Amino acid sequence: MEKKQYIMIGIAIALVIAVAAPFIASGNPDGLESAFFSIHGAKDFQGDELDEDAAEAAEARAVEITGNDFSFDAPLPDYGIDGLDKPGEVLAVVIGTILILILVYGVARVAARPDN
Amino acid sequence: MHIPDAFIPMGQALVYWIIALIFIALALRWARSSMKEEKVPLVAVLAAGIFAIQAVNIPIPWGTSGHMVGAALAAIVLGSPYAGVFVLTLVLLVQGIIFGDGGITVMGANIINMGVVGGFIGYYGYTALNGVMNNAYVAAFIAGWASLFISAILCAVELAMPARSRWISASHSWGRTTPSSVSSRVGSPRLPST
Repeated sequence: MEKKQYIMIGIAIALVIAVAAPFIASGNPDGLESAFFSIHGAKDFQGDELDEDAAEAAEARAVEITGNDFSFDAPLPDYGIDGLDKPGEVLAVVIGTILILILVYGVARVAARPDN
Repeated sequence: MHIPDAFIPMGQALVYWIIALIFIALALRWARSSMKEEKVPLVAVLAAGIFAIQAVNIPIPWGTSGHMVGAALAAIVLGSPYAGVFVLTLVLLVQGIIFGDGGITVMGANIINMGVVGGFIGYYGYTALNGVMNNAYVAAFIAGWASLFISAILCAVELAMPARSRWISASHSWGRTTPSSVSSRVGSPRLPST
């Protein structure tokens, strides 16, 4: 198999993972969020139910402690598209994957050692 | 392990960014000297795969989840710790800017935790272990695990710093403040440990 085929297979695998991700990924908050929310009483340590109001209060408390109130509105927050449920999530992750492909290829091309 | 913006004070976030930028500059230097153009498609595909795999949260009992990071993978496959920094920086940039996964001001810390620690411990752990055991896969597994373990500890330390630094600044001003105002700051809840 020549190199080009390996690359195509690699891209295909990445896209398959991207499409599958919204379905097979766990909905549990990641360790950082889980620990944070349960310490501040917004979530049972061993559960996955999040108390929204307590969560907001906890986040406000964090801003209070650190003083970092920087906020940034990402276009596709939380890997989803407003209005589209699961298909929106699939699209978001696929868009990200393709974006990474293009971005990393571009940056690497410019940064790499030229073959002469 | 993607730290959000609110969790680290600006001053510390800036320090982490400066450190991260140093490593990014070194990674670019590595790319210029050692990343051959013919490797570029592989780097791009690896990065895409790492991004996709980071979206696959794996449930951990007791209400939480984790995901693979991929810096050790990139470093081992591409043969340099700086490859991990290179790939993860770009992945984190897209995750932070497009998807709001991980903060912007704190991205320096995230780049250090995942890219630098993942890349360096992953790569050097692998080469060290590969030298003493015959199984490259076991060596890679242990190196990858160790890189995440250290990353998580570093992350915890970074998150504990804000509460610590308030305590430290409170103790410096003991001469000028009343005991009750010191204890009210020291008594604030600590930030999470993971």
